Formats: sequence, structure tokens, C-alpha cells
Amino acid sequence: MAQINIMKRLAQAIAVVATILTTISPLAAKNLNEDPSEALVRTIAKDLRCAVCQNQSVYESNSDLAKDMLEVIRDKVKAGEKEATIRDYFFQRYGDYIYLEPTKSGMNMLLWFGPIIGLIIGALALISAFKKWKKNSVKTEKSKKEDDKKMQARIDEELKNIEV
Amino acid sequence: MKNSWKIILLLSLVIIMALFAGGLSNNPRDIPSPLVNKPASNFTAPVLNSQETISLADHKGKWVLVNFWGSWCVSCVAEHPYLMQLAKIAEKRDDFMIIGVDFRDTIEGANTFLKRHGNPGYKHAFDPKQKIAIDWGVYGAPESYLVDPTGMIKLKHTGPLYFGWFEKVALPQIQGKTNGSN
Repeated sequence: MAQINIMKRLAQAIAVVATILTTISPLAAKNLNEDPSEALVRTIAKDLRCAVCQNQSVYESNSDLAKDMLEVIRDKVKAGEKEATIRDYFFQRYGDYIYLEPTKSGMNMLLWFGPIIGLIIGALALISAFKKWKKNSVKTEKSKKEDDKKMQARIDEELKNIEV
Repeated sequence: MKNSWKIILLLSLVIIMALFAGGLSNNPRDIPSPLVNKPASNFTAPVLNSQETISLADHKGKWVLVNFWGSWCVSCVAEHPYLMQLAKIAEKRDDFMIIGVDFRDTIEGANTFLKRHGNPGYKHAFDPKQKIAIDWGVYGAPESYLVDPTGMIKLKHTGPLYFGWFEKVALPQIQGKTNGSN
């Protein structure tokens, strides 16, 4: 009985593995069959902005310009040009607008570090505000106690007067 | 202390408003070309409706208006009457010429366009895979570049050229150069 159970479990496991393998194999095959230079084409094209569609990369975009730009990248990669040279080719023609991620230079530094600086200033302001609130609340508690004492003294005095 | 925070708040508000105002007045389609004042990239391409080829380098010594267009481009229809007039101006001058670059187009499409809207008469380089257009940093059509006699790009115009553009924009450049060399 135990042996039959083990056999059943094994058959189930084999079925699961076979299903997974048949599902992912077309994807794997696609990557295996592609030209080795295509990986570099993909890396470069994913970093370049499709010039006519605002926020899509050349690799993702379906526009005619992006398709032709991809073709230019492919030609250059096949011609043996280096990644930096190809990126520079587009930069020379379209400026840094062509990069999806702004370069870390010049005014772009403000884009990269501005939010961090803003966050630090905001945190400092919040800390100082909290400190002030805490100070104020301690102060009011103290003055409240003093007020209570004064009030009690007055009440006592009034009561004394009534008794007399 | 209280006042300094108020000043900081006001200053941040002013900065944000200034950035906002700047952003609103900018034209998102008007992306500055890094190619201005740089040597124009040479091209050699087949001439539309001809067996010959055209090369920019062959026209050094003249001011060349390189006009990128396509029969698929709606704004090119609006620009075309002015190009017809500009072609006549170019015919009369020996220091200025026009080269059209018909990109991402078919020969049939281009011919239908020229038949319908008129043929200005100058040569058009045929660039179906937009290799020249990408090499010149072109985003869309129409876009025009004014190249000086030494082969330097002097200005880029994005969008349709308008009536009076030559006198207002190109002529001062051409005359400036003429005066400079005299």
C-alpha cells in the first residue's frame, strides 16, 4: 500500500515538472536561438528614450522612429561598435533628452540629489517642530500646576472668610 | 525664528511657482538640437524619381536648407506652399539652395504628395529607413536645418516654415556670413 502511495506521489511530481518545463521551454528557446549580439542591442535600446513617445524606451516602443532607431543600434552592434560609442552617437544627435535616466552631471545633479536634500531639510524641520511642541506642552503643564496652586489658595482664603 | 520659517516657506513657494511658470511657457515639442554650430553629417542617398544620387558634401560653398518631410506628415502640407515660394527664391540666388529629405516614405506616397500639392523642383534625397533622419537627430516632420557654406549647421527649425521665414531668419545669417567674409 505504502509503495503504491510513493509511486502515485512520484507520478504527480513528474507531471508537475513536465508541465513547468513545457510551459517555459518556448521562452528559453527564444532566448537561446537569438543572436548573441541582441543582448547588447536590448541593453542599449532599453536606456534610450523613444523620441516621439515621451516616456517609452526605444526597445519597448512600437513607433516607426523607435523601430528604425533599433535597426540603427543593431547595425552598429553588428559592425562591432562599443556600447559607449553607440550611446554617444545618439547623445550627440538628440542631446541628453534621449536618455531615459538623466545623466549624473550638470543641472541634472539637482534632479538626482534635490529630493534627498529636500527630504533631509524636511526631516530636520519636523524634528525641530516636535522639540518645540514637547517644550511647549511641558511648559503648559507646569503653569497649569502653578495656576491650580494659586486657585486653591484663593479658595482656601474665601472659605476662611465665609467661616468667620 | 518664527519669521525665518515663514520666509523659507514663501521662498519655496516662489521657487515652485517660478518652475511651474517656466514649464508652462515651454513648448514640449521644441527640443533644442545639440547639432547647431556643429558640422553637418554628410549623406549620400538616391534622388527621388531619379537614377542619380545626391550628396550634401557636393554643395559646400552654398547655404543649404535641408528640409525633412514625408507624404504622411500633415504639417508638411501646411508648409508646402511656402516651400514652393522658397524654391523660387533659391532659383534666383547662387548662394542658397534647398535639398528635401523624404524620409520614412514610399516612392508612390511621395509622388502622390508632389502631384497633389505641387513639385517645388529641387532634389529630394529618398530615405525610407530614416537613416539620414536619425543621423541628423530628427524627431518628426517637418524639420529644417540651415547649413552654411563651410558645412556647419547654423540653425534648426522644428515645425512648418512660415511665409517670410527666409527674410526674417535665414537672410540675416547669410548676410552676416557675407559681411564677415568681405
